[in-house]
Amino acid sequence: MVRIGFLSIAHMHAFSYGDAVNKLPNAQLVGIYDPDKERGTKGAETLKTRYYSDPVELLNKVDAVIICSENSRHREFTELAAQYGKHILCEKPIATTIEDGQAMIEACEKANVKLQIAFPCRFNTPIRRVKDMLDQGAIGNVLAIRGTNHGQMPGGWFVDRELSGGGAVMDHTVHIVDLIRWFLGKEVISVYAEADTMLYDVDIDDCGMLSMELEDGVFVTQDPSWSRPSTFPTWGDVTMEIIGTDGVISLDAFAQNFTLFSDKSNKVMHKVYTEDMDFGLIKDFVEMIEEDREPSITGFDGLQAMAVALAAYESARRKEPVKLD
Amino acid sequence: MIRVGVIGYGTMGQVHSQSYKELENAALTAVADQEPKRREQIEQELGVKAVSNADEIFQDESIDLVDICVPTYLHEEMIAKAVEAGKHIFVEKPLARSLDQGKKILALTKNYRKKVGVGHVVRFSPEYVAARESVQQGEIGRPAVVRTFRGGSQFPRGWQDWYADFELSGGVILDLVIHDIDYLRWVFGEVERVYAKSTHGRTTAHLEHAMIVLRFKNGVIAHVEGSWTNYPGQFYTTFEFSGDEGLISFDSRKTAPIVQITAKQSEDSKDVVIPENPFLVSPYTAEIADMVEAIKDDREPAVTVQDAFDTLRVALAAVESAQTGKVISL
Repeated sequence: MVRIGFLSIAHMHAFSYGDAVNKLPNAQLVGIYDPDKERGTKGAETLKTRYYSDPVELLNKVDAVIICSENSRHREFTELAAQYGKHILCEKPIATTIEDGQAMIEACEKANVKLQIAFPCRFNTPIRRVKDMLDQGAIGNVLAIRGTNHGQMPGGWFVDRELSGGGAVMDHTVHIVDLIRWFLGKEVISVYAEADTMLYDVDIDDCGMLSMELEDGVFVTQDPSWSRPSTFPTWGDVTMEIIGTDGVISLDAFAQNFTLFSDKSNKVMHKVYTEDMDFGLIKDFVEMIEEDREPSITGFDGLQAMAVALAAYESARRKEPVKLD
Repeated sequence: MIRVGVIGYGTMGQVHSQSYKELENAALTAVADQEPKRREQIEQELGVKAVSNADEIFQDESIDLVDICVPTYLHEEMIAKAVEAGKHIFVEKPLARSLDQGKKILALTKNYRKKVGVGHVVRFSPEYVAARESVQQGEIGRPAVVRTFRGGSQFPRGWQDWYADFELSGGVILDLVIHDIDYLRWVFGEVERVYAKSTHGRTTAHLEHAMIVLRFKNGVIAHVEGSWTNYPGQFYTTFEFSGDEGLISFDSRKTAPIVQITAKQSEDSKDVVIPENPFLVSPYTAEIADMVEAIKDDREPAVTVQDAFDTLRVALAAVESAQTGKVISL
């Protein structure tokens, strides 16, 4: 039995992750620490667990933690958990600066604890199928990929630069970049980006466009915009068009849905019945601890994806492509 | 009655010729093509005079309007001859293969007393016209991020395979994506800078896929994409315009009001699925009708040489960016 606690539930993914822990026979949700007592207490109630006002008290009762704090606080919670020898699943992006990301990786290495970054899309069934197809060379050599990871404007701390480290570009670039690195085993070597605030009255980028160059001449574009209106039938999308020498694969990761026309909520909604990728992520994390193997998504993976988002901001400022190391 | 001569009976020459046949105020008089087989086709399909040399069209005094449907790199030469002959001119897009050719065409037609129009047909496609109206009526609020796609069909085969020669055709950006570049200029105004990627030069596979990022002067960010495939795919277009008060989304694969499915008639044949998207007036006939009316009404046609030149500049900047990896500011 792997005993798990949350260090902050500021990120809403905490609820689906917590549900997954509760569903797993080999995991136990011990409790939630959150600096915001009201949020922590309510969250604990929803997830049928206990609220801890002292993170150390919680740390002493668990084997592993899930960190769902604001992005800029990932480092302090990671270092704390590592100090107490606990394995860590940290919400993406790994951090908001390269320095913080590197410090997290080092702290976990030193403490000999496992650090996994939460990129749940790697556990979406259609996406896993596409990974298999590419591994089998289904469309020959991949030449180019068009990606989108649209969303609605999340509000809250996501639009507070101090806490989030960036807006739409930071929020949504890392998913697609992680998938592409995973699919192709190639790194991004340069990025060009447009980023701006045009959709909402917020003090952070709410839209943008990235054009990236990978090793070996593959290019990728990615639209991270929070451009889905509040009336949009679903939260957003993860799509890719993968162009190969022998064909094309079109991926719409959440196309498994039906449409609900609801008078009750005065909305049209997509009801998605894709298998729960968050459950897949948590199950993998728990198994990794039980089997004492390396994390499927490492701190390095998290760092590489974040580095692309940071380079995108630099490119948008300089209005030219930026090279990555 | 406007009397018309079409030059070049390839894909577009055939489409334009059929459109003139449909118009009541135009008479297709002659069509020129160098290929004997095509001339046979012209006489059979259109029942009009087929000539082997374009000069016969220019010299025919009964012809008011020449419609130039030869490969892109020959446009300038044909326009020069048409101007010399004093004809009204309709030329298929793109205006020219190079900026230099485009400038020469601009100079040739400046202060020209006859009408010159360019075939950017998307400005006559009902879905694109309706989307523009929606944006202009403020239905999505302030536009922010827009996306377009055009392609999915096989790499085109033209006369002497000229599309495959990048120096002659400019590839998928100049020949295909230029449709959307022109349309986006029509909706969102002028472009500030361009950054583009293309598979051209990156693979020996007989395909081209291009993805262009445009930044417009009004702030709009655009992702403009086009493809020619190396398999017999289905041509389609998509567009999506997001604004601060709404979103427009279109996918031509989802809008066919009719789908006809026919069971195979013999062991050798196949089941056939034919989607149909009928309109009383095709976009091609509409653009041709506009040109003919512009002559009759003595007004500018929908797409002028200057307008097409400005679109060409953006498309060529995209080609340059894709080749050099640099951002091109306009």
